[in-house]
Amino acid sequence: MAKLEASGTVVLGISIDSPAANAAFAKQIGVTFPLLSDMNKEVLTSYQILKPYDVKGGKYQWAQRTTIVVDKQGKIQHVEQGDSAVDPNSAVSVCTGLHKPKA
Amino acid sequence: MKGIVTALAGIFLLLGIGGQVVAPVTAAPQEEAVAKTNLKVGDAAPDFSLLSDKWEQVKLSDYRGKKNVILAFYVLAFTGG
Repeated sequence: MAKLEASGTVVLGISIDSPAANAAFAKQIGVTFPLLSDMNKEVLTSYQILKPYDVKGGKYQWAQRTTIVVDKQGKIQHVEQGDSAVDPNSAVSVCTGLHKPKA
Repeated sequence: MKGIVTALAGIFLLLGIGGQVVAPVTAAPQEEAVAKTNLKVGDAAPDFSLLSDKWEQVKLSDYRGKKNVILAFYVLAFTGG
């Protein structure tokens, strides 16, 4: 996290949880960055990462695990999906790379 | 990527047991249940405004010109991942 702050990067967690659930989750895992509630699934829809889940016969649409890096110009610099997106290292290196003055 | 590497490692392991290396096996396309986004590097990130865990509105475009932003989408709180 320190590396990220030094590179001028913020992290935003996003899921369909309510702010109340996210507040409890943030406390439990000790995150310091905001956890955002996409309760209407608007962002998941616009980012096209709604994924169907089956839970005990019920069908739900929640987020596909995804990491996206957006640069200061609002442009996407990195997209990672699925299990590998759990590991933040590549996103972090993209950001610390963005911070370096371009040769 | 990791998945592919693991799959390949598994295949090599299986082949290795037989003690022979057969012609290169093309890894069968794995059933990837990924809701794949069409957003690509270089695209403009769709803007949004969402409530944070502190009940504040957080807008992606607020960081424009100031910060890089890592958007970490997760399935559900309390599910470890």
